Amino acid sequence: MALPPAILRASAFLALWVVLAGVHAADLPAAVAAVVAATWVSFRLSPSTGGLLSLPGLIALMVRYPWQSLLAGIDVARLVFAPGLPLRVDTVVYTPRLPPGAARDAFLVYASTLPGTVPVVAADGSRIVIHCLDAAQPVAEQMAAEEARFIRALGGAYG
Amino acid sequence: MTMIADLATVILVSAGVVFFIAGTLGLLRFPDSMTRLHALTKADNLGLGLIVLGLLPQVTSLAAALKLATVWLLTQFAGATVTQLVARAIWRAERRP
Repeated sequence: MALPPAILRASAFLALWVVLAGVHAADLPAAVAAVVAATWVSFRLSPSTGGLLSLPGLIALMVRYPWQSLLAGIDVARLVFAPGLPLRVDTVVYTPRLPPGAARDAFLVYASTLPGTVPVVAADGSRIVIHCLDAAQPVAEQMAAEEARFIRALGGAYG
Repeated sequence: MTMIADLATVILVSAGVVFFIAGTLGLLRFPDSMTRLHALTKADNLGLGLIVLGLLPQVTSLAAALKLATVWLLTQFAGATVTQLVARAIWRAERRP
């Protein structure tokens, strides 16, 4: 029998609490309050679950992330330490496949950790504007490839 | 074994510090708020990642290692989320007539 989603999420938050704070009897009231609050907020932000995430897609993203983080950090360090500050700052307009909502917001958060780009939602809400440090890069193509990876991790919906 | 672990710690933590310096230098040298945001998020993310990686050989229990990895993960989430919020605020402010 499958457990109710609330129990599953609360267990995950409890596990997170135990990892961060350890197991101490005196902490119990704070732990219960934190777990209940976190579970409530998580349902407010993302009501549906139903096993939408794809495990292979998620693992592929998690394996890729440290590598991208390394490239992004080296990229910034290279620019910062260069005497002439060789920035070629520009913005690129990009139309995401993900519709406005929690999934797209999550993708934008993920994409802002990628090398050279910080995406922002444009005023009309349907497009995003990517602020990039090196406009010579194929920014829109890279963003589309990252979005495809992200959508695969989400289980392939929005395709 | 301890010496190899200590050496790994020294190298990784030192590299982490270099990236934190890069982030701070970017904050000072980059020309506007959006580019500074790049410097802070990306360089500091990597700096913290390297420091956490460097501290892992020194931990004495699995619980401590898990705690370090979780702190890194939560900082990534929080940092990226705040980046988005700040970027949107800058974007709106710059486009205000």
